[in-house]
Amino acid sequence: MRRISLTFKSFVKSSLLFLSLSFACSSVSYAQSAAEGVTLFKQKCTSCHALNQKVVGPALKGVNDRHKEEFLLKWIKNSQALVAAGNPEAVKLFNENNKVAMTPFPELTDDNIKSILAYIKEGDKPAAGAAGGVEGGQGAQAKDEVSDVMLGSIVVIILIALGVVLVLNRVIKSLEKVSLKKQGLLEEEEIVAAEPGVPAYKKLLKNKKFVFFVVLLLVIFLGSAGWMGMWNTGVHTGYQPEQPIKFSHQLHAGINKIDCQYCHSGAYKSKNASIPSLNVCMNCHNYVTASDKYNGQTSPEIMKIYKALDYNPDTKKYGDNPKPVEWVRIHNLPDFAYFNHSQHVKVAGVACQKCHGPVQTMQEIYQYSPLTMKWCINCHRETEVKYKGNAYYDNMIAAHDKIKKGEKVTAAVMGGTECGKCHY
Amino acid sequence: MESNKKYWKGLEELQKTPEFVENNKNEFSEDLPIEEVLNGAGLSTATPRRDFLKALGFGLGAVSLAACQKAPVIKSIPYLVKPEEVVPGIPNYYVSTFNGQSILVKTREGRPIKIEGNPAGLLGNGGTDAQAQASVLDLYDVSKLRGPKLNGANARWSSVDSFVRGELNKIQAGGKKIRIVSSTVNSPSTKSVVADFVAKYPNTKHINIDAVSYTGIIKANGNSFGKAVLPRYRFDNADVIVSFDADFLGTWITPEEYTKQWVSNRNAKSLASKKMSRHIQFETGMSLTGTNADSRIPVKPSEAGLAVVALYNAITGTVLPGTQPLSNNVIADKAVKLAAKELVAAKGRALVVAGSNDVSTQIIVNAINSALGSYGTTIDLDNPSNQYLGNDAEIVEFVAEMNRGEVDAVFFLNTNPAYDYINPKAFTDALAKVKLKVSFSDREDETASLCNVIAINHNYLESWGDQNAFEGYYSVVQPTINPVNDSRQAEESLLTWIDAPVKDYYQYVRTGWEKTVLAATGKTWKDVLQTGFIFTGAKPASAYTFNFDLSPVVASVVNQSKTLAKDIELQVYESVSMRDGKHANNAFLQELPDPVSKVTWDNYVSIAPKFAEKIGVTEFDLVEVKAANGYSVVLPVLVQPGQAQGTVSIAVGYGRTKAGKAGNNVGKNAYPFITLSNGTKQYTSTVTISKTGDTYELAQTQTHHSFEGRNIIRETTFKEYAKNPGAGSGKKIDSKEYDLWNDHDKPGHNWVMAIDLNACTGCGSCIVACNVENNVPVVGRDEVRRRREMHWLRIDRYYSFVEEGKSLSEESEINNLENLDNVTVVHQPMLCQHCDHAPCETVCPVLATVHSSDGLNHMAYNRCVGTRYCANNCPYKVRRFNWFNYWNDSRFDNYLNNEFTQLVLNPDVTTRFRGVMEKCSMCIQRIQAGRLTAKIEKRKLKDGEIKMACQQACTANAIIFGDANDPDSEVSKALKNERTYYVLEELNVQPGVGYQVKVRNTVEA
Repeated sequence: MRRISLTFKSFVKSSLLFLSLSFACSSVSYAQSAAEGVTLFKQKCTSCHALNQKVVGPALKGVNDRHKEEFLLKWIKNSQALVAAGNPEAVKLFNENNKVAMTPFPELTDDNIKSILAYIKEGDKPAAGAAGGVEGGQGAQAKDEVSDVMLGSIVVIILIALGVVLVLNRVIKSLEKVSLKKQGLLEEEEIVAAEPGVPAYKKLLKNKKFVFFVVLLLVIFLGSAGWMGMWNTGVHTGYQPEQPIKFSHQLHAGINKIDCQYCHSGAYKSKNASIPSLNVCMNCHNYVTASDKYNGQTSPEIMKIYKALDYNPDTKKYGDNPKPVEWVRIHNLPDFAYFNHSQHVKVAGVACQKCHGPVQTMQEIYQYSPLTMKWCINCHRETEVKYKGNAYYDNMIAAHDKIKKGEKVTAAVMGGTECGKCHY
Repeated sequence: MESNKKYWKGLEELQKTPEFVENNKNEFSEDLPIEEVLNGAGLSTATPRRDFLKALGFGLGAVSLAACQKAPVIKSIPYLVKPEEVVPGIPNYYVSTFNGQSILVKTREGRPIKIEGNPAGLLGNGGTDAQAQASVLDLYDVSKLRGPKLNGANARWSSVDSFVRGELNKIQAGGKKIRIVSSTVNSPSTKSVVADFVAKYPNTKHINIDAVSYTGIIKANGNSFGKAVLPRYRFDNADVIVSFDADFLGTWITPEEYTKQWVSNRNAKSLASKKMSRHIQFETGMSLTGTNADSRIPVKPSEAGLAVVALYNAITGTVLPGTQPLSNNVIADKAVKLAAKELVAAKGRALVVAGSNDVSTQIIVNAINSALGSYGTTIDLDNPSNQYLGNDAEIVEFVAEMNRGEVDAVFFLNTNPAYDYINPKAFTDALAKVKLKVSFSDREDETASLCNVIAINHNYLESWGDQNAFEGYYSVVQPTINPVNDSRQAEESLLTWIDAPVKDYYQYVRTGWEKTVLAATGKTWKDVLQTGFIFTGAKPASAYTFNFDLSPVVASVVNQSKTLAKDIELQVYESVSMRDGKHANNAFLQELPDPVSKVTWDNYVSIAPKFAEKIGVTEFDLVEVKAANGYSVVLPVLVQPGQAQGTVSIAVGYGRTKAGKAGNNVGKNAYPFITLSNGTKQYTSTVTISKTGDTYELAQTQTHHSFEGRNIIRETTFKEYAKNPGAGSGKKIDSKEYDLWNDHDKPGHNWVMAIDLNACTGCGSCIVACNVENNVPVVGRDEVRRRREMHWLRIDRYYSFVEEGKSLSEESEINNLENLDNVTVVHQPMLCQHCDHAPCETVCPVLATVHSSDGLNHMAYNRCVGTRYCANNCPYKVRRFNWFNYWNDSRFDNYLNNEFTQLVLNPDVTTRFRGVMEKCSMCIQRIQAGRLTAKIEKRKLKDGEIKMACQQACTANAIIFGDANDPDSEVSKALKNERTYYVLEELNVQPGVGYQVKVRNTVEA
């Protein structure tokens, strides 16, 4: 019996260890990005500059050596003012670069510019570090707090059950001992217990209570797993297929803060948010080649855009053998459910993140929401309709006020949970 | 007048045949074999334990496998470079032209999915006919060829070109004739291409041939007034219309335009101003126009000509020499005299038309119209129609030329004489003598399969082009999709073969327009692409007087009548759904029930009940119809009340053998029954009929529901209406109403519909529009026989009698009637009524059909488990059960069972799975889209902004949809009309669709 309790103890210990480990894992927070310059450089400079390559503007490597810092501060803030003022260095630079005027950046402070210059001076080294740091933060942890709580409570219940079983075992054992002592059989029992050669697991198997407990646990475990499995059939939360181009929303939406609708322009006006066509990519990637990360070479991922378009970055000419990019669809709503982006984005003003999750932190996109009907309906029941300032709703709100004074006007109240509104 | 008229849907209902009574006891025609399972071996055999375990194991395994299923990999492929005007998910509309009518083509993601009438167009009032609605399906037809063919083998365009050029040069050197044979070409650009071709090869002549031609009218006008044209008839200017066999609401010349005109004197607006035209129809078979006429008099083909002469005599008060009295048809004789009186009284506002293609008959009609002062008012000879330019004599001459070996090359454009010539065999034999035979058909049809070269043409949705339907009305054809197959536009092929300087047909059309129409009107090419057409203005219609001696003409008519007056007289007609048979492979049209007989997927021999009894045939008997010229077909009999005694009618357009999967061997070809007389085709003949002894069940939709004599149809007469606008709409019973159900709140919208039975002609274009819009599947002949057609919207046709000017109400009187000639017909579109207290909702065990807050009855297909309780409980019988996955079942390989044709599906509407109920959703996708647009633009919804597919297709504007919560909406106004009644309102299901009483302008009553 002692052995059994020992085994239980070690089991409990290990499971506690496992639990604490997993909690520790999820609480890893990534380090504060030290290189402000990288971010700024990517936001402001990369559409015209690269470190090692001439894009629109000259390659920036060694710019700290070529010019004095005071000059650079003025130049970056407003180069044309310098040229107009007749600064010889500025005029020379302007002429050297075919008189293409550089965009002024009056919003950058001196410290901002210094950090950019520092980044340029450091070159690739800090960039690699920063990228590494960022990558560490990603991973498909289940960010579902509800399921964490449920998991925790199940573990607690199991622990309590274990405790009860252990206590009961003790009680029973001591009671048995007492009764055995009374009957004078204790000596014999101890001899049996000490008998060598009988393996411990065989003894365990003979313990009916233990076997019952294990079977019970198995039934509960398999039953709940089966139940959950059934419920989640066809629910693909976390679905993260490999895409033909390793496009990072974290970089584009997160760091560069490009508006979602710049690329997904359909979201405002159509049922489809639409995957951007490659000409949208080329608006920036005509110039932005991320060559600073690839030793002056164009990033292989960006090369895929060029290849799809049959575009030659050297001659800047398009060929006549383009091949479309076959993205893998992540959010697959069933055919019988009609969903319209513009209704939600434009009319209701729902943020993209509400359904698509923290896209700006996703290196690769995965399905964040379950996309089940329950999930839709819940939101329709809770979300208030943005009727103010929209003349469409005037009649309805007036009528509605008569019926239910003071209550929240949710989508559901407006008929947003009626079958035919989505199923036709 | 409270209507106590007796209506019936078909003869079986009238006669209460035992089969009919038995069939109508049940909701579904066939019982499910439940009894068999329960009583037979089904339940008594014990399932062995092992089998049970096997099944259990398999089930568990299958379920767990299904549960393990990974997210499916669905590719999403965006544009490489997105065209600026395309936003995925938002439809684009392009103007184009179909059969002369300006249309809008709705495209989604670059593929056309729906045809709508151009609201500004001059022919259709924004509506279209069924052919236009269905035409989008032809684009996705898998029976078309994928590329050109040369001598029976697939070929490249380059080899086709060099072959044709080489042959043409040889023929040019040989000096023999070249012929371009086409159905009517009114396109200025095509004509110009043909002219270019003729310039290069001067031996060429262009021949217009029409399968159903109007040569008689054109020639008659040439004879009478020196203007050999097809006039524009103006039914809107006519107060009294007399038609002899002209089905002008269904098939005659340009039925959409005529419907628009005809209805303008009979719709709610006209009735409100106490005006209604009077329409008298003399005809052989029961045509769509006949069913809508105020008075309809059956006449034999042999009597029709005589009746026209009698009418002339009665109007002018003379007796033409040689006149034969209508002694055999006393009723018609009386009716002609009455009609003459009315016509004379309405001088200047009267119109007489005749469907006959006989020049003599048409000349007398001209004389009548001249006497009535119709020219310049109801007939416009100065702005003629170009819709049918064919000359029957030319095709006959052409066949003779080929026979004589004078023709070395022939090009067939949009025509199929091997099928629709009056003697296909003679044509085929003659064609064999021609060296170079080129067809521009898109498929290997009857004619194309006899040709050396099939230079497949684009579908009209892939083409550039133009049309000139009538004088001054120029409309543009523009492509809405890149050519799907390796096809080339026929005009471009011709330009290539003559090595024209401009081979690109787009350039050709555009330059042509810029030089002519655009230059004259000061508009730009872009304007045309936006508006779809240019109308250069009508010339003033001048009056014409007829002054020729009519005696030789009368002699010819009488002679004609004598030749016809023997055996059984046959009338060959175009059916409203199939027309001339060019679209025979269109499954939507094949399954569109004939407006009168409600037969789908077949043609048949129409015969009057009394006459059928006389010659000893009954419904569905297969009979052999043998014409004097030796041609015979075996077709089933359809007993048709209203058909003239001693006559039978057979529709053309059927019996195609090389149309494609859907259209092959549907019915029999009736074109060879057409005879040639005095240089024009005659659609009448004499035949003998003999029983074969077999029977063949026609797939009819009409007998599928019984209405147990309930007061569903309400009608009145114009006289009664003038006294009391609410006449016939049913008395309101003065009693307290109790509701079993709670009322629904409708805070926002309350969608309702109003249908004017007086405007609806029953043409059926709404049905096809609904099919296309809502992905309603075509089920095929066998399933229609099992009453499983899926149409969400049907048009019910009810018969009743008029005998001596009285509506008959007593059943005994009906049984005593000698014959069933004097039937009147009412058409009633029937669709889900979206009842506020819907009986279907209360019986659904899974809440798959529920009510919405805007007055609609929703149907959630994915929730439906298929108990069909709702259909049993629906008093209107509008719920349809989906028995099969018609889009993915090899047994229904009509049209949709392939990925290509599925591109025609509306992406905003799901395709329903088998085993679920479906029904009219009130085009909820359109309502939702319309609301969303208003929400995005932050404005109120405008009345009329959302249109139902059926409403949009209706040229007669019989259907109005809108918001009843808006007191100013068109539909609210329409429903406030005194004529409004609700079908089965006594059930208090509170339907959302209101009907307006049919008004008949009968004189006698």
